[in-house]
Amino acid sequence: MAGSYDEMWEKLNLDVEAHTGLLEVLGKFYGDIYMSQQGRLRGMEYLDFVLSEVHGLRIKELQDAKAQGKKVFGTFCVFVPEEIVLAAGGVQVGLCAGAEIGTSEAEKVLPRNTCALIKSFVGFKLGRLCPFIESCDMIVGETTCDGKKKAYEIFSEYSPVYVMEIPQMKNPADRELWRNEVMRFKNAVEDTTGNKISAESLKDAIHLTNERRRVLQRLNRLRAAVPVPISGRDVLLINQVSFYDDPVRFTAKIGELCDELEDRVKSGEGVAPKNTTRLMMSGCPMAVPNWKLPYIIESSGAIVVGEESCIGTRNTRDLIDENAKTFDSIIDAIVDRYMKIDCACFTPNTERLDNIVRMARDLKVQGVVHYGLSFCQPYAIEAFKVERALRSAGIPMLSIETDYSMEDVEQLKTRVEAFVEMTK
Amino acid sequence: MKSVLNHDTVAGIDIGSRSIELVVLNPDGLLHRSKTSTAFDPVGQCRRLMDGVIGGRFIATGYGRRLFAESFRDIEVSVITEIQAYALGARFVCPEAMTVLDIGGQDTKVISLSGAGKVRKFEMNDRCAAGTGKFLEFMATALQVPLESFGDFALRSDHRIRINSMCAVFAESEATSLMAGGESPENIAMGLHMGIVQRTAAMLKRVGVSAPLVFAGGVAHNPCVVKLLEEELGQAVMVPEDPDMVGAIGAALYGLNGRVP
Amino acid sequence: MKDFEDAGEHFLLDLSELEDTDTKVAGVYCLLAPVELIRALGAIPVSLCGKKEWPIAAAERVLPSGLCPLIKSSYGYAITETCPYYSASDFLIAETTCDGKKKMYELLGLVKPLHLMHLPYTTEEPHALEFWRQEIIRLGSFLEERTGWKTDLDHLRFQIKTQNSIRKLLGRISRFQTAERVPISGLDMMTVMESKSFWIYPDKYQQLLQKFISQMEVFVESGFSPFADDAPRILLTGCPIGRGSEKVLRLVEDCGGVVVCMENCTGVKGLDLLVDEEESDPFMALARRYLQIPCSCMTPNTGRLDLLDRLIDEYRVDGVIDLTLQYCHTYNIESRIIGEFVETRRNLPFLHLETDYSDSDTERLGTRIEAFLEMAAPNSLDRAAGNGEPASL
Repeated sequence: MAGSYDEMWEKLNLDVEAHTGLLEVLGKFYGDIYMSQQGRLRGMEYLDFVLSEVHGLRIKELQDAKAQGKKVFGTFCVFVPEEIVLAAGGVQVGLCAGAEIGTSEAEKVLPRNTCALIKSFVGFKLGRLCPFIESCDMIVGETTCDGKKKAYEIFSEYSPVYVMEIPQMKNPADRELWRNEVMRFKNAVEDTTGNKISAESLKDAIHLTNERRRVLQRLNRLRAAVPVPISGRDVLLINQVSFYDDPVRFTAKIGELCDELEDRVKSGEGVAPKNTTRLMMSGCPMAVPNWKLPYIIESSGAIVVGEESCIGTRNTRDLIDENAKTFDSIIDAIVDRYMKIDCACFTPNTERLDNIVRMARDLKVQGVVHYGLSFCQPYAIEAFKVERALRSAGIPMLSIETDYSMEDVEQLKTRVEAFVEMTK
Repeated sequence: MKSVLNHDTVAGIDIGSRSIELVVLNPDGLLHRSKTSTAFDPVGQCRRLMDGVIGGRFIATGYGRRLFAESFRDIEVSVITEIQAYALGARFVCPEAMTVLDIGGQDTKVISLSGAGKVRKFEMNDRCAAGTGKFLEFMATALQVPLESFGDFALRSDHRIRINSMCAVFAESEATSLMAGGESPENIAMGLHMGIVQRTAAMLKRVGVSAPLVFAGGVAHNPCVVKLLEEELGQAVMVPEDPDMVGAIGAALYGLNGRVP
Repeated sequence: MKDFEDAGEHFLLDLSELEDTDTKVAGVYCLLAPVELIRALGAIPVSLCGKKEWPIAAAERVLPSGLCPLIKSSYGYAITETCPYYSASDFLIAETTCDGKKKMYELLGLVKPLHLMHLPYTTEEPHALEFWRQEIIRLGSFLEERTGWKTDLDHLRFQIKTQNSIRKLLGRISRFQTAERVPISGLDMMTVMESKSFWIYPDKYQQLLQKFISQMEVFVESGFSPFADDAPRILLTGCPIGRGSEKVLRLVEDCGGVVVCMENCTGVKGLDLLVDEEESDPFMALARRYLQIPCSCMTPNTGRLDLLDRLIDEYRVDGVIDLTLQYCHTYNIESRIIGEFVETRRNLPFLHLETDYSDSDTERLGTRIEAFLEMAAPNSLDRAAGNGEPASL
């Protein structure tokens, strides 16, 4: 990604100099964490390419789409129904950020002891370093956790934010609330795009997103093989890219990757020796370019075979029922699918415990690493429940609470190494 | 101790955790200034400092202000906080001062002033040593460099490295491993100075920096910190002739012009 | 004042006399619990909000330490069974306010029957009112089940009238502090306000309040005040406080300020909001009133700015202190919005403090509060600051 994009970035009002610096650092970081891996799949070349063009080609595609009248919607949560946006001819991109960027600007408007993910996306905005944010025609927030909820109030001082009310419980009244919110969102999306959403366009959109979910489910199933044919780092990247890449192209490319993986599984070829400790990550999401945890785990004698998180199965586990025919029943199908999401913002969220145990068993893991971002209270409190549930199932758990800085990498490596020794 | 009650003169005394400063003023000007270290006996040190000093009312500020008031009941003592004292003192040494930064031995303060010189906003860090003079003292000892020349030492670095640790204790470990890895102590010192300046700059930006910025307190003697601050903030930093005295001057001024208790 | 200090004890005494009856006690944790409905269905509400430090250690065995002390204290009291009001409670009523409380209630519900009300956060959106109304009705069903009482709309209307009149009396009491010579300390006012969560008989309580009002009227007439004429008048806002966690309030008054008003759950928040007695559907009237309580878990929380704006004028405030309990994300993030409003729109000094229940930071808080009071004092240092005197040295 060279000076060829400078003009585009300037038009988007980015701080081009700082942005170029950021990309250099990112490039080096990526090299250390990803390119240093041995035996990578050919299919990962696509991901390497996408990452290298993360603020370049993909942004250009978005700009071209906008020039044709398409609208871009930015979101921060897997709860926002992408199908609605796609059905209206729009493009949805995830804006969650995974780097310590613009921290001093962010800390002018947010307290220092705020979750790193929140400070990051606010920092990207205030530092004028994210072309995705600047390309959005509508930014969608939601009432999930306290931090995000109040951060959107601050963010909206710089860029308007449409806030969706996400239910906190799963009683019938809450489903009603959510259905109303989906319809309200639909109206807002129609207004922004100028396009009416029909049952047909919804069906097409659902097919797209379901196919993407299916290919990621297929990928996850292939990781149950021993030895595992792909690293956790690579899968995390794939999941992260799924939030902003073109759905059709992405699905096709990952399908090809899965074909390659099947060959590997058939020939018993793994990305690490057969007896490498298999671990699963659970908890808070990891936004790009936050690759810290799988990097630490995979440098400490273990390999990551699954993610129970918004950048993993929480996002891909459930499909939307494609049998619905009428507009209302299609909306119901969408509503029902999203209500299955087991984020810690929900209470009591006991289904998450079952999902974690089941997943750990299916993937034949020796242990689970629970990941909490510092200051995230919902996941911190749930970690206790998860630990108890896993203990009853005879599966050990390591709880890690950290942020984006590299300060505690050595300490974390020690803990993971000790945990790996424990699980042998 | 001799102290003649004289309604014209006012003494300002700043009792900090590391040093104590004394200033005596009357409406015509400065009559006396002196300082000493707090050591472990602030009251005794105060007594020694005050010996032979002709002063009327005393205005005490700093960490030990209440201790002073309680220990010297035979003289007229009022207390004000260091925030107020530094605001007044900074305006005295720089009549247009809009922001005051004080990095002391054990705490760091940023004060934002209004056009009229009133305290508009302030922020203090007195919880974590990493943003204070203590950090530099600790590191200078670790690198076996005298504290007074630590700044010049750091300025001799030939390239800038980053010290990641926020915590003083971990920063020392990081410094040690860098030394073992062959990094020069000058470069390490520079990295440590950059750390404290970054933390200070973050605090300044939260409160809001308007020029002129007056840099007071013990750490203002450190030329490396001054240089890095100017770079980080993109503006000149004004260091008064005697940065340690700013608090005591402000306290005395309060006695001369402020509300009489 | 003694009656107010002993309100909790009197409550327990009155309660013990009801032992043989089947009267149920409902433990509540928040101003959002519709006490009118609780009483109309035969239960006595009592506040279980933890204000002391010592139960926190027990809570930290299962709750992360990075949680607000109020939450940990409340939970700690429950699992150590050392709170007589908790022990007296037959069931608990809670709400999905902040994350910490929401998740803590999951654990609390394991030790005592707990009904969780789902508060919609975007309270200004059209759907919120009806949703909250339904939640109040759902609470009613829970209460009917627990107490065996049936919903009687007339009785509910009666309870609404009663609560309204009590709120008016408390409002009247709080307004004595608007006087130029402030008659009682903020600490005493806090004790009076805390009593609102600990009474059984409305007549008895209203009499107590009326008696106090008469006493206060005498004070104000006589111009008596425990404070200096020029003591800075401070408005304390933010997270709730109470006896046990009144550290900041005490420091302000020890350092020469007077806390004339508390815009928090302990103080005047909600006192001006009355339930519409004319509305035909009392559930709707309740929903409407309760949804207006300006809590930071709501987004956006514009009601709080409006309330602060009015209070600053009414109480003739010289400065605002925003107290955030450590790890309270909602009030912490909101503080910036409040600060900007106070400093820029109302031109008053503003201090944001973050603290917990322990005593370890008393010295540090004291310095900041003192410095703030120097800033807020109405006529201090105007002569000293900025006039360039004395002559150059």
